[in-house]
Amino acid sequence: MFRNYIKTAWRSLKKNKTFTAINVLGLALGLTACLLIVLYVVDELSFDRYNNKADRIYRVNEDLKLGNNSVNYAVCMAPLAQTLKTDFPDVEDAVRIKRAAFHVKKGTENILEYNVAFADPSIFNVFTLPMVNGNATTALAEPNSIVITETTAKKYFNSTNVVGRDLRIDDQAGYKVTGVIKDMPKTSHFNFDFLVSMSTYPDSKSDKWLRSDYNTYVLFRKGADPKKLEVQLPAFLRKYAAGEMQNELNTSIDAFEKSGSYFRMNLTPLTDIHLHSDRSGELGTNSTVEYIYIFSAIALFILFIACVNFMNLSTARSSSRAREVGVRKVLGSSRGYLVIQFLTESTLVTLGATLIALAAATALLPAFNQLAGKEILINSHTYVWLLPVSLIIVLVIGFLAGSYPAFFLSAFQPADVLKGKLATGFKGGWLRSFLVVFQFGISIFLIIGTLVIYNQLNYIQTKNLGYNRNQVLVVKNAFELGKHAQSFKQEVKQLPGVASATLTGFLPTTQARSTSIFFKDASMTDQKSSIFPQTWQVDDDYIKTLGMKMAAGRNFSSQMATDSSGVIINETAARFLGFANPIDKQLYQSLDGSRTHFKVYHIVGVVKDFHFNSLRENISPVVMRLGEDTGDLSLRVSTTNLPALIAQLKEKWSGLSSSHFEYSFMDQDFEASYRSEQRIGKIFVVFTSLAILIACLGLFGLAAYAAEQRTKEIGIRKVLGANVTAIVGLLSKDFIKLILIAITISSPLAWYLMHKWLQDFAYRVNIEWYTIVIAGLGAMIIAVATISFQSIKAALANPVKSLKSE
Amino acid sequence: MIKITDLEKFYRTEEVETIALNKLSMEVRKGEFVAIMGPSGCGKSTLLNILGMLDDPDAGSYVFNDIEVAHFNERKRADLRKHNIGFVFQSFNLIDELTVFENVELPLIYTGVAAADRVKRVEEVLDKMQIMQRRNHYPQQLSGGQQQRVAIARAVVNNPKLILADEPTGNLDSSNGNDVMELLTDLNEQGTTIVMVTHSEHDARYSHRIIRLLDGHTVMENIMI
Repeated sequence: MFRNYIKTAWRSLKKNKTFTAINVLGLALGLTACLLIVLYVVDELSFDRYNNKADRIYRVNEDLKLGNNSVNYAVCMAPLAQTLKTDFPDVEDAVRIKRAAFHVKKGTENILEYNVAFADPSIFNVFTLPMVNGNATTALAEPNSIVITETTAKKYFNSTNVVGRDLRIDDQAGYKVTGVIKDMPKTSHFNFDFLVSMSTYPDSKSDKWLRSDYNTYVLFRKGADPKKLEVQLPAFLRKYAAGEMQNELNTSIDAFEKSGSYFRMNLTPLTDIHLHSDRSGELGTNSTVEYIYIFSAIALFILFIACVNFMNLSTARSSSRAREVGVRKVLGSSRGYLVIQFLTESTLVTLGATLIALAAATALLPAFNQLAGKEILINSHTYVWLLPVSLIIVLVIGFLAGSYPAFFLSAFQPADVLKGKLATGFKGGWLRSFLVVFQFGISIFLIIGTLVIYNQLNYIQTKNLGYNRNQVLVVKNAFELGKHAQSFKQEVKQLPGVASATLTGFLPTTQARSTSIFFKDASMTDQKSSIFPQTWQVDDDYIKTLGMKMAAGRNFSSQMATDSSGVIINETAARFLGFANPIDKQLYQSLDGSRTHFKVYHIVGVVKDFHFNSLRENISPVVMRLGEDTGDLSLRVSTTNLPALIAQLKEKWSGLSSSHFEYSFMDQDFEASYRSEQRIGKIFVVFTSLAILIACLGLFGLAAYAAEQRTKEIGIRKVLGANVTAIVGLLSKDFIKLILIAITISSPLAWYLMHKWLQDFAYRVNIEWYTIVIAGLGAMIIAVATISFQSIKAALANPVKSLKSE
Repeated sequence: MIKITDLEKFYRTEEVETIALNKLSMEVRKGEFVAIMGPSGCGKSTLLNILGMLDDPDAGSYVFNDIEVAHFNERKRADLRKHNIGFVFQSFNLIDELTVFENVELPLIYTGVAAADRVKRVEEVLDKMQIMQRRNHYPQQLSGGQQQRVAIARAVVNNPKLILADEPTGNLDSSNGNDVMELLTDLNEQGTTIVMVTHSEHDARYSHRIIRLLDGHTVMENIMI
């Protein structure tokens, strides 16, 4: 019996090659997309779970509000880790990690390494970082000990057996490799190549409770409740920080909190960091769970659309199967047998589609990884869940997609179908209509979503940011030149093709950031009148080179001796300070945290607001002062012969430093800071296009179905003189109605959800009415084009044939 | 074998009710060969469908082999049908995706005959119908006469007590048509009861008795000797 089903199914599929191809490929396409998304989501959800003790590890965070400024930190104070361990028996262990960067000597070259961290020895107890060589308990105990990853070991020593070898750090001897660990998994929220013993870093012994610099993780004992610790944190903080607060800010914690400010701590579970944490001082770039939801929804949508196609295409073929159903029933088949037969058939198709999808997903994975910026691998671990999941997919999709045709077809009355009275009883079109509306509703939703995301990304890229990032060449790490940095700048300024140059690491596109507190009054007690701005050290060429505009006052001038205590603030800072006319007003900054040593600044100018954070955030206050920061040298270039200019720059650099010459263009740096958004945007476009393509395949099938159902009507109309246009119109009308309904339902929904998404951006586009019109029209045009193919085919058919087929 | 009494069947659309069978009564004895004739729309096919348990009557009684089946549900009807009744259609109704052998084998599959047994029985009947050499062909590859032979082979493979034929020669030329009628006559002579709907007086002459229908009831019975 079963063999007979499979045989019939196989031959029937083989006979209708076009139909089978559309059906199998449509489903395979949907499943491939789905599989890739599932792999992506699984990868995102697996972050930090490689740690054996992942469920017991929590990061300690700090929330600070001072006057108008609030900051959420992922970092805490130096003494915190040890104190938590001592004070709370539930804390089994704690570890501090402090990000750093240094030069490592290889041969004669000094290579700047960014993936460097200072870490307490307990890092190997808290996190699962298997040691290949060396002793995990002692490796980071002594100062100047360094644990490196296998890849790093091979990079510097061509071997992993390097415990005891020396490393020259920042061109200084005295550092020893004490361990080699396996490379950190890509699914870790931090990724370091070098771990340096915390004792190497002098500040780590600090007992200050008002300075936060260390990412601090605690490992709870088995069975301990982190909530219990969290409720004790306010009291704990009071105990240790109150004295310092009194001394340095001249305020008690009570008074501090009364004034609306706060200073709090809380915990984030390790496994929540990657998707739920976006704080200042994160150890890496995290993702957001929102994207997981969006992608999962898209995967489900695609799968749904593909299933609906399957149903619709199968029912579309019903007339050619109806006779078979009739004959089988006459010969004694019960309805149950037929249902099983059709389900077998759909499961068979799904199996084929799934196999194709598995192969396709494997083949496309490298391209997908590149698109998504991932390093997902399909290996034996993946198959452990992938194969059972695929089997479930085959059975569930096979059933879901096959059930409608199965029950529909098996309900044919043999007496009717054998007489050619095909499916006259099938007026249950509401289900089909509902499915089409749903399918197109989803497609239109996705089109609107894609348009809005693209508009927003485009807006980000073209928005006037308050500075001009084009034609700015950034020579990186000018601090490597040491005392020659200034002379390098002066020489470079003389080069033809260089309009101006500014020497500072504080650029809108870099990560260099520094904050400090400024008060309006010399007593420095009123938190409310204080601001907590970005404090950037710049030179007098800064405003000019970056093309910023002054709103009031003037730029710094090297001619004015008093400008060493002058500051330029941005419009936001002026607003925060509440000065009607800020020029020549004074600002006070404590030099050592006390109220006795302070510096007085006067405001010389107000620069128009410019964007230096992500456009997700509002512009925050900035105070610029003249300084000696030599982080990077930015040049406004006015030449088209860049290679020549770069060659000259490189030559000058080599004359002054042994380290590597690196440069970039500011507009590219800017793009890079939106790379994750762009990636998401691209992924979104790819999968949306797929969804729409699959939906169109379905519509194609449905149009075929409609044409088939109305073959006789078309024949009669043609005999009576209807022309092709009239018939195409007749067939398209019904679908256009459905698509209009889909537009009506899905566009408000899309508008609402995309509006919500845009709320994440402080600076955003509006969803214009024409976005929705374009999406609707787009869907309509695609649909009509798809339907026309079938309609025209039906309209051109010879009516004699269609009438005879009755 | 068949006894129907006051059988009624209506077809309803939204506004019109058509009477297909109007208090029809008739009887078919075991071993008979009965032809049913009448103009288009007289209810012949409806009657045949009810006799074949493909359709159920709206009123009246239908006793098949001493069992009242008028109110059987679909599963029971299917069960009774597959063991007792074979069908031959005007348009053959072979399944295009199955070979000659597989088409004939189908009823045996549904009645749960073991695979080895099935091969034997199908080969037997194909041999009898003289289409053995075509066993691996698909229906599209056969002539109309050959297709109807296959259909008859399929109808008799289960050794049914009753064969219902709906204009079995309607799509055939006269020579092929005569061959089919000979086959049916042979089957009848071997003891199978046959009820045949036909438009052809020529074909009807092969039967023992002609029942003429008009507007859903019997108007005349001719006994052929």
